[in-house]
Amino acid sequence: MTALEEMLQAFERRADGMRAEGAPMVGLFGDGLPEALIHAAGARPVEVKAPPLADATAGPLRPEVSEIAEPFLDDFCARFLHRLAAGAFDHIALLVFARDDVAAQAAYQYATEMRRLGMLPSTGPCLHLWSLLHTEGAAAQRFNRTELDRLETALHKVTGQGIDAQALADAQAREARRMTSMARLAGHAQAFMLRNAGRWLDAAHHADLLDSLPTPAVAGGRRIGIVGTACDLPVLQELAQELGHVAADLTPYGDLWPGNHAGPALAGDLIDQVATHPLHLRANPASKFDQALAEGLRDCDLVLAAVDRNDDGFGWDLPALTALCEARGTPLVMLGFRPFRPDTAWRDAARKKIAEVLS
Amino acid sequence: MTRAAEAAAYQKDWLKGLRAQITSGASFAFVNADTPHEIFHFMDMPMVTNQWWSAVIAAKQQAPHYFDWMEEAGFHGHLPKYSSLPLMAQLEGDASRQPWGGLPAPALLCARQSSDEHGRIFRRWSELTGAPLHLLSAPGVADPAPNWWEMARENWEELYGTARLDLLQAEIEELIVAVEDLTGRSFDRDGFAAYMDKIDRMEKMLGEVSDLIATAPKVPMGISEQMPNVMIPQWHRGSDWALSHVEGFRDEVAERIEAGHAECPNEKIRMMWIGAGLWFDTSFYRAFEESHGAVFAWSMYLPFASDGYIRADHGDPVRALAARVSAMNEQLHQPPWVNEWLVAQAKKYRIDVALMLIPEHDRFSGYGSLFAKRALERAGVKVIEIWSDMVDPRAWDREAAVAQVTQALDEMEEMA
Repeated sequence: MTALEEMLQAFERRADGMRAEGAPMVGLFGDGLPEALIHAAGARPVEVKAPPLADATAGPLRPEVSEIAEPFLDDFCARFLHRLAAGAFDHIALLVFARDDVAAQAAYQYATEMRRLGMLPSTGPCLHLWSLLHTEGAAAQRFNRTELDRLETALHKVTGQGIDAQALADAQAREARRMTSMARLAGHAQAFMLRNAGRWLDAAHHADLLDSLPTPAVAGGRRIGIVGTACDLPVLQELAQELGHVAADLTPYGDLWPGNHAGPALAGDLIDQVATHPLHLRANPASKFDQALAEGLRDCDLVLAAVDRNDDGFGWDLPALTALCEARGTPLVMLGFRPFRPDTAWRDAARKKIAEVLS
Repeated sequence: MTRAAEAAAYQKDWLKGLRAQITSGASFAFVNADTPHEIFHFMDMPMVTNQWWSAVIAAKQQAPHYFDWMEEAGFHGHLPKYSSLPLMAQLEGDASRQPWGGLPAPALLCARQSSDEHGRIFRRWSELTGAPLHLLSAPGVADPAPNWWEMARENWEELYGTARLDLLQAEIEELIVAVEDLTGRSFDRDGFAAYMDKIDRMEKMLGEVSDLIATAPKVPMGISEQMPNVMIPQWHRGSDWALSHVEGFRDEVAERIEAGHAECPNEKIRMMWIGAGLWFDTSFYRAFEESHGAVFAWSMYLPFASDGYIRADHGDPVRALAARVSAMNEQLHQPPWVNEWLVAQAKKYRIDVALMLIPEHDRFSGYGSLFAKRALERAGVKVIEIWSDMVDPRAWDREAAVAQVTQALDEMEEMA
């Protein structure tokens, strides 16, 4: 298997493709917890929010989940619950849910409540809520440190060790190398998949795989920015590549990860940095997000935006984003509600909207 | 004049004063419902609550205009409506259409980040008005005790967690400093303790009313009349008027029970209304009394007064306030809190049928609904889902909703 094939397979199979061997696995639901912290406690991080691609057609549908999942429940959350009930995460020791992720708190609450009510077996992974506040100030920092202590206790239960300072520094060094390797491939046609494949690969191995790929030609055409709510598929990226290249992907599965977890090698300093990262919908002061979005799109000459059907965060920024783009003379295409798994018809409609705006 | 009418008259008069203050340029705070209002009341700073203002606009049948405008302005149609209607009215810009001719710019904004929209909505308010924004944190509760209402009055430190309370208390202290700066008044901590004590006394009396109505042979006062008797004093909680009113409300309910009064003499079915009020169509609450002897005995506002507000101060009233606020809204919406509480309330009030408002485009209020439905059904309560928004009537089909409830009640009668 080539390096490219290995990464694409990791992207496709996701958590299902990770074998339960070696260090215990810790599942992460939502971007809010640096993977290096998991490594530093002797565990392996694995993303569990995004389901395997096969889940769209062959994923489980469990009646006990359907009974309590409102039809408008976040799709990531709903698919996670069906998979949890079907035992898809039984090989994972601990699942950590980042409260400030749009879907994670509901996923945690529904999963814990189903267990409490006996709707799910009490076996399977332990469940842990990680309530990192994206707020500046001493009180929030103190709170976040208590969350770090709670996390370390939870990790200790599954690995028998706490967060080791040297192991954390080593893990951060591997993350830094991975980021350097990825930066070289930012213009790759499959950059979205290559980068996100790392959520299911060891950072050093991921870097090795990335390093084995040739440097892509400098991308030309329009410089396109992508904004909106979380999508774990390169839907907008592929539309963008029909017109130019993705210059800034500011969506939750976009360029942010793993850079939003880069930084100091001390655990406390690291979470302080994650907590104050500006490009988060719950960033406080709230103006930070707006400014970061505006800055991130500065060099774009076309912006594509899409949200999921129950967005209650990003949509408040759309008129301001429209005004910003108008002031800059940058076309903005609002593609409306993007289904969880967009079909050909949705993509065709999106192309039509883009063409209308650009005509 | 009933106590409810007295409360409404008092509120109307008081609001005139508030309106006069605000429109003549007095500094006021614009805040969400689940923020520590006590600070503003105690510091005598005028305050307008976002969700109340939303209900006022909806009651004046203005919501469809603003929600149509909202989408024309580029906001998408699935955004939550209850908390955003006032912002839309403000952004739309035609103040003459609004109640009071619109609100001037507030001096301070305050919201809790209990859901994702609040930070973004209030950010837009801040941008629009230039007012400083105080966002209070709302970290998740990792291990929520299902019987929260049994622990919350005294044992709140354990229930809500020391780290969460430390955080919110510190943020409330920052808010106090901001209000001191705006009002030029010092925060009197002894006076605040006495004020908090009066609030607890008021909420305990409301708890007594809840007990009276729950155990009465027939419902002595429907929820349309309960709501003003609870919500208006709740607005003024801790004031002499509020205590006096609640005392009178309690006595009126006791007298009605003593006299054998029944809101619906033909009472056969006791119902609970789950969710915020259906503010644009409150007459719906009485639509089934004559036809089926079905009367609404319960809405959350009365029982939540005691369970959601009474917090022993344990020598630190600001911390007790943090305990009151730290999960205020979550207790009404999130599992296991909401389902366990609703079942306990349904049993206490001998409820037969629950009408559950499910607002699809308000994730915070809509999520957890089916856990509550399941729990109530297992407790023997028939649950009727009403898929609607609290303030957006555009998709509300009254006839269809009445038909839906009628069919369910007919089926119950046939089975009886």
